This record gives sequence, structure tokens and C-alpha cells, in this order.
Amino acid sequence: MIRKLFLLICLSGLSPLAGATGSSLVATGGITSFEGTAGGGITPWAMIAGYGSEEEIHGTAALQQLDLGEYQLRTFGAAIGIYDRVELSVQRQNLKVGSGITSNVFNLLTQGAVSTAPGTDIEQDIIGLKVKLFGDAIFAQNSPWPQVSMGAQYKKNRDFDTSLPLSDGSVPLPQTGVPMLLGATQDSGTDFYLAASKLWLGAAWGNNLLANVTARMTKANTFGLLGFESATDDSYALEWEGSLAILPSPSTAVGIEWRTQTNRLGGLAEEKTVTDFFIAYFPNKHWSLTAAYVDLGNLPFDDKASGLYLSATVNL
Amino acid sequence: MKSFLIVILTFFALLSGCATQPKQDLYSEIGGSATLSKVFGLAINRIYNDPVLGPHFEGVPKSHLREMLTEQTCALIGGPCEYTGKSMQEAHQERDVTAAEFYRLVEHVQQAMRLIGLTYEQENRILAALAPLKKDIIYQGI
Ligand code: HEM
Repeated sequence: MIRKLFLLICLSGLSPLAGATGSSLVATGGITSFEGTAGGGITPWAMIAGYGSEEEIHGTAALQQLDLGEYQLRTFGAAIGIYDRVELSVQRQNLKVGSGITSNVFNLLTQGAVSTAPGTDIEQDIIGLKVKLFGDAIFAQNSPWPQVSMGAQYKKNRDFDTSLPLSDGSVPLPQTGVPMLLGATQDSGTDFYLAASKLWLGAAWGNNLLANVTARMTKANTFGLLGFESATDDSYALEWEGSLAILPSPSTAVGIEWRTQTNRLGGLAEEKTVTDFFIAYFPNKHWSLTAAYVDLGNLPFDDKASGLYLSATVNL
Repeated sequence: MKSFLIVILTFFALLSGCATQPKQDLYSEIGGSATLSKVFGLAINRIYNDPVLGPHFEGVPKSHLREMLTEQTCALIGGPCEYTGKSMQEAHQERDVTAAEFYRLVEHVQQAMRLIGLTYEQENRILAALAPLKKDIIYQGI
């Protein structure tokens, strides 16, 4: 992972595109969320990916890692920003589930008869589309209106029905993946969101202040990593997300974020509000690095699912 | 959609309320028009030498532009000046200034403010005063 990260950064330095990442001001592109859209760490913002102005097409490539101990979430993808109006993104997510967790699953399913099992991976692909509707988050300083964008994220869980093997390789529950075991009934879903973002120049003791609010309609369980819908609930739920950040220097942003979840499955897969505290570093327009402490609240058999999040975005 | 807009507007209006600060001391804090004139003197040199921006300014006297920008910024940050130049729409009409060119120019002004020694906080507050001009500067027709 770290190797890949450095490779990306080095590539960006050597790239013939270096020096041509777009005209917009540094840091105004935000970072890349773990779902692949330009935004904060866990939520989309109304900004369009990359530093392209309304005459330019630019993009980003990014990777993220969240270390939760028995769970490891690794994600990467790319986004393209077209004329500061439309953003298209693709993202691959890989959630490594440790054997401690899968062992617990079998222990529970077999009432203690099976108590060890190898770990597994849950992968998900996300295709994102975002369109800026109106507003100028950065330059409309004399207006209370934020920049507002509308977006959709089509998510396909690739391991919805990937069965868990036992240590001896046998598969006691064929065609039944972790999302199904926990009660999800669909392997894909589409989230729709509205994001409103605004930056106030010099507003916080001379520092720039950024706020974002996102409303999301979703059928996902834990972002879709645990599938979509349930036997008793197949309708959209409205969830709220937000970010508040201060930029104490031209190259740094520190802030907090939150994101509510539906908790459709309950039980082991109970969902809580996700929160994080982040520091992002934008040394120049070529790349940015973000470190965060993310608290997911709960994941199956881990009721203190929190850990260090690292994310790198390269601007192309 | 409706509840979203209500939440959004209340939230951002509240934040805007907190964010509005008195500006009257910024002008004297930075050293008044003398400092602004230095900033724009430097910025204009950089702008005229810029391969993308330079051509726009052919035949525009540096000293006049410097004087106008100083006056305008002084007035916008609450200084004792009256801007006597053309409106932004008028000045940039028939130039078809792009957003990319606008950001480029802002970067030169930012750079000049740093080189002259303004603090990041002062720079942000000055930019906050200039930023709303964007919509009257870009794409004012050819
Ligand atoms: C923050 C951004 C900008 C500000 C505050 C600004 C401000 C001004 C001011 C105060 C004038 C003088 C008006 C007068 O003579 O009465 C002016 C003139 C001019 N500006 Fe801008 N401007 C900005 C961006 C740009 C950009 C991006 C371009 C083009 C690349 C541009 C091109 C010009 C030209 C060519 C003139 C001379 C007009 C003439 O004398 O006919 N400006 N601007």
C-alpha cells in the first residue's frame, strides 16, 4: 500500500503533465473521499474533482487506507472534472476482514462447533457522477448561498454472495457472502445526494473556513460494504453528512466530519454515526496528503471500530 | 429537497453571520494605500510578464492600472478611498476573460502580497473583498 502511494507520488512528480494540473487555486479541489468523489474523507463536497477551471478538464487519482485492526479498508480510484461542472469517478474498495472476525461469525453460526476460520475480503466498486447545480463556493464571498451539486453513486458489492470457507477449505454455506449472512438482500444500489459547500475567506481570525452539508438518499448498509436493503426494508432513507474545516495556512486544512447511517440491518451489523477528525496537507497543486482519525462506531464483532485513515490525492 | 434547502440556508446563514467581521482596521493594519500600491506594483509586473495574461494588457499603462487597483482595493477593505475607475463589467468588456485567467491573476496578487510581507490572515481578508468581483470580470463578452 505504502509502496503504491509513493509510486503514485513519484509518478506525479515525473509526469510530463506536471505543471499542468489546472488553474483553480490550491486546496480548492478538496481531497478525495473513500467513495471516490471529491470531498472530505467520508463525504462528498459540492466541489468538482481536480483543479480544472470552467474551461479545463483535469482529474485526480487517489488512494485511501483505514486501519481498524481486524478490519482494513483499502480504496483507490480516479476522478475526472469536466469544465468545473461535471465529475465522473470510479473507485474500488477492499475491506479485509480478519480471521478473528470470521471465526466469531462461524462460532456464532455453529454455536461454538467451529471456532476458527480464515479471513476474507469484501470488495465493492463505485461509479460516481456529480453535477454542479449553482453557486460558487469560493468566490461568491458576498452571498450567503453555498455551491450546490447533485450526485449519484452506483455501488456494486462484488462479494455479496462470496461464501466464507472454513480452514480446511470446505464451504458450509455456499453462495452466501458476509452481507447476506448479516441480512442484506441486494448486491447493488444507487445513492443520490445533494451537497452544499462554502468557503469563507479570512472568516476565522483571518483563516479560511469551510463548511459542507450533504443529504444522501441511500439503501446501503455500511456504505454498501455490507450490501443493500434488508428483508423488511427496501426503501430509501435520508442520511446527513457534514464537514467543518479551518485552513490555518495556505497548505493545511484541519477539520471534523460526520455521517449518519440508516442502521437497517441492526444486530451485529448495527450502524452508528461515523465521525472523523482530519488534517490535510496541500504542498502544491500536484498532490495532497490527509491523515485522519475515523470512528465508524460499529462493525460486526468490533464495537469500537475506529482507527487511522490515510489518503493521498494526485492531481492530473 | 425542501427540507434540504431549509437546513442548508439556516446553516450557511448562521455561519455567514458568525463569519462577518468588522473590516475597518484591516486597511491601517496593513499600512494603508502605500502597501497596497507596492503589492499591485509587484503583481502588475508579474502579470505583464505572464505569457497567458500579458497579451491582454498590451497598451494598458501600468501606472494607471496600479493606481486603479490600489484605489479599488483600498475602498473595498474599508479604507478612506473612492474608486474612480470603470465598473468591473465595463473594464473587462470585450476581453472575454476566462476563469482560468482570473485565477491566474489572483495567484499573482496572492504571491505579491506574500512577497511584500502581508500575513496569511491579511491576505485572506483582502481576497475576501476582491473575490465577489469575479462574476463581473469573467466572460463579459468579446
Ligand atoms: C481580481 C481580479 C481583477 C481585478 C480586481 C481587476 C480590476 C481591474 C481594474 C480596477 C481595472 C481598471 C479599470 C479602469 O481603468 O478604470 C482593470 C482593468 C483591466 N483589467 Fe482587470 N481586474 C481583474 C482581473 C483581470 C483579468 C483576469 C484580466 C485579463 C486577463 C484583466 C484585464 C484587464 C484589462 C486588460 C484592463 C484594462 C482595461 C482598459 O483600460 O481598457 N483583469 N481591472
